[in-house]
Amino acid sequence: MPDIQTILVYIAVTIAIGFLVRKFLLPKRKSKKTCGSTDCGCH
Amino acid sequence: MILTNKQIKVALIGNPNTGKTSVFNQLTGLNQKVGNYPGITVEKKEGICKLSRGVKAHILDLPGTYSLNATSLDENVVIELLLNKNGKDYPDVAVVITDVENLKRNLLLFTQIKDLKLPTILVINMADRMDRKGISLDIESLEQKLNTRIALVSSRKGTGIDKIKELILDYRSLSTEPCVNASAIDQPYFENLQNAFPEHELYKLWLVITQDANFVELNRHAVPVPDTSSFNTKSRSELKRLQQREAIHRYQFINGTLKEGYKTDIHAAKGLRATLDRILTHKVWGYVIFFAILLLMFQAIFKWSEYPMDFIDQSFASLSEWAKNVLPAGVFTNLIAEGLIPGIGGVVIFIPQIAFLFLFISILEESGYMSRVVFLMDKGMRRFGLSGKSVVPLISGAACAIPAVMATRNIESWKERLITILVTPFMTCSARLPVYLIIIALVIPDERFMGLNYQGLMLMALYLIGFIAAVGSAYILHKLLKTRTRSFFVVEMPNYKIPLFKNVAITVVEKTKSFVFGAGKIILAISIILWFLASNGPSERFDNAEQIITERHQGENLSEGELDTEIASYQLENSYIGIVGKAIEPVIQPLGYDWKIGIALVSSFAAREVFVGTLATIYSVGSEEEGTIKNRMAKETNPQTGGKLFNLASGVSLLLFYAFAMQCMSTLAIVKRETNSWKWPMIQLVFMSAIAYVTALIAYQVLK
Amino acid sequence: MKTTIAHLKRGEKGIIKDIPIDIIPVKLFEMGCLPGNEVELLQVAPFKDPLYLNINGSFLSIRRETALLIEVEKINETPEI
Repeated sequence: MPDIQTILVYIAVTIAIGFLVRKFLLPKRKSKKTCGSTDCGCH
Repeated sequence: MILTNKQIKVALIGNPNTGKTSVFNQLTGLNQKVGNYPGITVEKKEGICKLSRGVKAHILDLPGTYSLNATSLDENVVIELLLNKNGKDYPDVAVVITDVENLKRNLLLFTQIKDLKLPTILVINMADRMDRKGISLDIESLEQKLNTRIALVSSRKGTGIDKIKELILDYRSLSTEPCVNASAIDQPYFENLQNAFPEHELYKLWLVITQDANFVELNRHAVPVPDTSSFNTKSRSELKRLQQREAIHRYQFINGTLKEGYKTDIHAAKGLRATLDRILTHKVWGYVIFFAILLLMFQAIFKWSEYPMDFIDQSFASLSEWAKNVLPAGVFTNLIAEGLIPGIGGVVIFIPQIAFLFLFISILEESGYMSRVVFLMDKGMRRFGLSGKSVVPLISGAACAIPAVMATRNIESWKERLITILVTPFMTCSARLPVYLIIIALVIPDERFMGLNYQGLMLMALYLIGFIAAVGSAYILHKLLKTRTRSFFVVEMPNYKIPLFKNVAITVVEKTKSFVFGAGKIILAISIILWFLASNGPSERFDNAEQIITERHQGENLSEGELDTEIASYQLENSYIGIVGKAIEPVIQPLGYDWKIGIALVSSFAAREVFVGTLATIYSVGSEEEGTIKNRMAKETNPQTGGKLFNLASGVSLLLFYAFAMQCMSTLAIVKRETNSWKWPMIQLVFMSAIAYVTALIAYQVLK
Repeated sequence: MKTTIAHLKRGEKGIIKDIPIDIIPVKLFEMGCLPGNEVELLQVAPFKDPLYLNINGSFLSIRRETALLIEVEKINETPEI
């Protein structure tokens, strides 16, 4: 029977991993083409 | 429906250097927040302004732009917002901010905004300079010609702000008629265009067409505009010719308007600007002054911030101690005391440096000096494929590469911008500093040679190495990257101004906040995970460490403390992170590192500043005795050689590794966003880390 | 050889005559760099590049390579009294 502290640790670690995954692996929205991907001569 | 609570939506629009931000600050006070536009990293500043009893205005400070023809991502935001009538940020009223001294040029944007048929207020700012410059205005005549209402404002003195509020409150009575008839430049073409899309406003159609020809394609999902690609009756150069005609047409109108409403006494003008320019862009004194300012800046960032940083460091150490004593014993308490608190401390400790950096940068920008630096440095930087405008990002890179990469946005040439983005992470950012400091203290003797301290020299050398690596790789990239486009460079040279305390203070607070909450969350999450990985293991050996070690040392008569140390280090070796460290040991052994440094190295790829924290965790888990991390590290021995683990060879090797390696996930993420591809951040990661490995290897093998 | 902005000396003024539209960025003519407007060379950076100009009341700096594209007619100013 895990104690309350262990449960809290697992919750904290899950939140931390979830946050990093969302931050780096799943960008919320596909950003549109910027002045950059091509030599568009942005003038 | 209740309309009493409705806020009037106001958009502040204006050229850069017109004091737009000051007006925004005056209107909103500290009642503002800074976020990002969805999907892009353009800063979105909004605030609330109380107009009268019960009526409030929601004020959006749009990025500065010279016209409605976007040449950068920031400017594009303005256009997309103004073209999207159904968007949630579409303003009820546009407030165009102009500078009384540059009224002619500033009015170009105003006449374009008027063509959008939006209720528009004209703010003529910097009214306090009129006397000195011998300028007089006939407001009534201007209002009539420009079809608008005018507020004469001095954001510096705070006058005229009430007039703006009054006009916003009364926005429904503003005229929405254009003041220039843009379609006069090519009547038949514009008639055809209108006929092809009768339900759309003509000027918006024209903007859509020219935007596509000039810059990025507008985001069709965000902007409900027709597909004008079928209406391609003009070539690109014809369109550009028309745009020039449009500019001429507008200037003709503006000149005519100002002839009547704007008088300037030339003899009262001149003076300060010319004198300051002569000194600040002088071929000798210009550079001397610039380097003196840089020196002062670094002095502030590294020397003055030492005291608050030491204080923060100690406070968090005692907080951690306190938490351990007060909270009920258990694993979660350990997480708080060993993972969470040091993690937060690792973020907070950078606040003084970041604040000093932005203090200096915002003062230099507000005063108008930064443009002179750009002017002074452009030729020299260009030899390395950079632009004069790369100076700001490179300097910012000495604090943190993230804002530095974002500061590259105003570089017009894509190639110069890309090179700047790619090389900026070589600059010694403040996250490298704690690593440098602890390793230098360990391996470089604290002795003087001809009055110079070796440790200080080493630190200076590392900054120099970072800078040389940046410009050197810029030079190589300059030779490698091929580009078809010409590079252009147009920099406005604004008037010199004494920076407003309020503006500077708000910038410093906002930038520091965004660092703490942006990078801070990542560092915190990583320290929690690291702690977990160091305090848990997959095998029996981890769980039964106490038993195994006690049995192993039976009869050896070890003291309680020694036994605990043995247990803890055995446990660490068998924790998840220990296993990872052991696994990469063969790769890093030639560089002079053991598996413990390996762990710190791996975790550093998330963020460098984790290095010292990780070592602290690793070496402190090992012993109960008091002592600084430095003392513990100094005691470590290398199992291969039997000598000290941290000696000159392995120390220099580590320093070089940190100088070159791309160990910052946040920077990679920002580079990905700014270049809109994974290609460049991946190239950065691979190449920088390869350089790091090779130089570290050579250094260790030669010095050992 | 045609006279361009790059051929002005410090303090000299000229009237812009011709601009190659296709290669000059829109931004520049929005800043007032248009045929008929007056341009004054205020400063030259070390190594003779970039140039610091007053075009039609706007203060801006451009590179020599761009300045070489913009044709001007020098104004022979009689010194002010």
